[in-house]
Amino acid sequence: MRRPLGCLTGAGLLAALLTAAAITATALASSNRLFSPGKLSAQAGVDLGGVSAHAALEEDCAACHPAFWSASAMGDRCLGCHTEIAAEIGDPAKLHGEIASPENCRDCHTEHRGPTAHLTTVDQVDFRHDGVGFELTAHRDMAPSPLACRDCHAESLRAFDIQDCAECHFVLDPAAAGEHMLSFGPRCLECHDGLDSYGAAWDHAATSFPLLGAHAELVCTRCHLAMHSLAELQRTPQQCAECHAADDIHAGRLGFDCRSCHNPGTWQEATIDHQLTGFPLEASHAEADCLSCHVDRKWWGIPDTCFGCHAQQDHHEGRFGTDCAACHRPTTWADWSFDHNLAAFRLTGAHASVACLACHTSGSFRGTPTVCGACHADPAYHAGMFGANCGACHNTSAWTPASYNGPHGFPMNHGGAGGNCDRCHPGALTGYTCFGCHDQGEITDKHAERFASFSDCMACHPTGDKEEGDD
Amino acid sequence: MPPVQRNRELLLAALAMLLIGGLYAAASLTVGVPEAGRLLGHSLGVVGFVLMLATETLYSLRKRAVRRARGRMSEWLQFHIFTGIVGPYLVLLHSAWSYKGLAGIVMLLTVIVVFSGFVGRYIYTAVPRTPEGALFEADDLERMIGEAEMALRDRLGSAESIGAAPDRPTVWLVLGRGPKSLTDRLRRWHELRRLDPAARVQAVRVQALRARLRELRRQAASLSAARRLLAVWHTVHIPLGMALFVAAFYHIGAALYFATLQR
Repeated sequence: MRRPLGCLTGAGLLAALLTAAAITATALASSNRLFSPGKLSAQAGVDLGGVSAHAALEEDCAACHPAFWSASAMGDRCLGCHTEIAAEIGDPAKLHGEIASPENCRDCHTEHRGPTAHLTTVDQVDFRHDGVGFELTAHRDMAPSPLACRDCHAESLRAFDIQDCAECHFVLDPAAAGEHMLSFGPRCLECHDGLDSYGAAWDHAATSFPLLGAHAELVCTRCHLAMHSLAELQRTPQQCAECHAADDIHAGRLGFDCRSCHNPGTWQEATIDHQLTGFPLEASHAEADCLSCHVDRKWWGIPDTCFGCHAQQDHHEGRFGTDCAACHRPTTWADWSFDHNLAAFRLTGAHASVACLACHTSGSFRGTPTVCGACHADPAYHAGMFGANCGACHNTSAWTPASYNGPHGFPMNHGGAGGNCDRCHPGALTGYTCFGCHDQGEITDKHAERFASFSDCMACHPTGDKEEGDD
Repeated sequence: MPPVQRNRELLLAALAMLLIGGLYAAASLTVGVPEAGRLLGHSLGVVGFVLMLATETLYSLRKRAVRRARGRMSEWLQFHIFTGIVGPYLVLLHSAWSYKGLAGIVMLLTVIVVFSGFVGRYIYTAVPRTPEGALFEADDLERMIGEAEMALRDRLGSAESIGAAPDRPTVWLVLGRGPKSLTDRLRRWHELRRLDPAARVQAVRVQALRARLRELRRQAASLSAARRLLAVWHTVHIPLGMALFVAAFYHIGAALYFATLQR
């Protein structure tokens, strides 16, 4: 048999036409039900316009499937009935807020899978679960098989029983789950939002309180005891004293900034900056063992005066008082320097080079008299004429020259004496002689016509003028 | 020209089905039965339909490509049979074992057309052809029968009978040749078992010559009947195939419109 057009025989073409006609007619007669791949869901939900399950629309395909010439899309038909879902779209707080749009209803809600099939077939990998407030990152990776939606949403994908958390986690790790539940309560979602920061991979270091030293080894409840919400956890005290007040062996005397001396590893390894205390450590003090001052680990109430510690070492036996630092530096006891200028009796002139014990003869450095006469006896030359106020005429550099400006019956600069008492008063001030300058033989010869002898030149020459005696 | 291996297409089709079936089973156990509308199920349907389309068109085009013929007809037939088995198998997997609506009708038609194809091949092989697929005419068969009779007489001598032409109804000779061939083989096997080894070698050669002669006589006797049956089969098979493809195109159009374009 020859068939030049192959399948396009008369019978073949007739069969094709009849088939096309039959399908078209059946489709028209059944409102396109012929193309339905399966029964609609019969699971009853909320009654919307007299329809509580899609199965009620089984014979009305156009209820969901608009004609191709219609301006509306399928999603519009969905939201036309499910107005509560339409209201959720765009609201981040709602289930469909950030994940749904009129174009993607079918991505999660697949129909024609039979009366008993679940209407929601969420692809767990693609579903943005964080859009409903709980990130599934950690749960997706659970071995040996990832969680299925129904593992947590047994009754409905819209509902979640907090007990489901416990059921799984008690199986996975009964001890840890039990301890965790007892410590923090059963309301898991109060703290856990599924994000990595609160899941298995959560890192305390990402918080404002990284766990360092001994803190890293503590069980959570040591700090977070009886905290049952994220807000409570975030309010966990972070100051040392808020947890360690009872551990404070200083009894609060050193304040509450423990970190200034201690590290998180152990209380024993303290590094104290003594400069911040009232007693900065200098020189030998900086090298001394702590316990040489803080005997019996007594950190508070330690004397901060030299004598408080060094009284036994006082070679002065208290004679210089207790202010060692006035003379000694903190290097060694031998390293000292006394500034007598700070004392009531400043050392000037010849006093500065005098040995200490020349004045402090008794070895006592206190109560040493400061009046001249206490050390310097009035010379016989003065013949007791000037009292004890040596400084009125003398300075501390030397006894001579002296500067007497007191009452003097004879010009003090006579003959250019210039205040040099010895010129006129050799031996003692109680007498005078002119013959130190004026030759006694010549004067005697000159006065021989009038006086057989004389001794009181001033009787005739009260101002020293040689003409005065002519009258 | 190398001989075409008999039934190679069936073996390859069986291997392909085993491989595809294994992968399908693994996927089913891992993620569940692939739904027709999802990526894997959809892909099965697309590939299966393309193979079915190739089955329907390529062999037919080759038969009519007289001037620019590529490849031997028998090889194209093997390809036709291979795609005609594997394609519908993929479509069957695509159905996800759900036969509702038009998709179910398409699946049913597919099964019918495939079964019809097996029947057609059975009838087709009853018609004697050259390795290139050209039909033998009655004269050719008579000449070949004469040659076979002469060869058998040379082997047996004039005293022994070389048998007579079959006297059964011609339609039975075509449709019943399979069971008849099987019973003949069994009978010959029993006869050989009773012979000693030396006589068995001779007997095998005689049996082969007798079988060749019987086959030629059967083909000659049923030639016209086989051709009629083949024509009848075409009359039934082609409309079934056309109906299948029209329904399949409707199904594809509806799937594209309702499941893909309509959001």
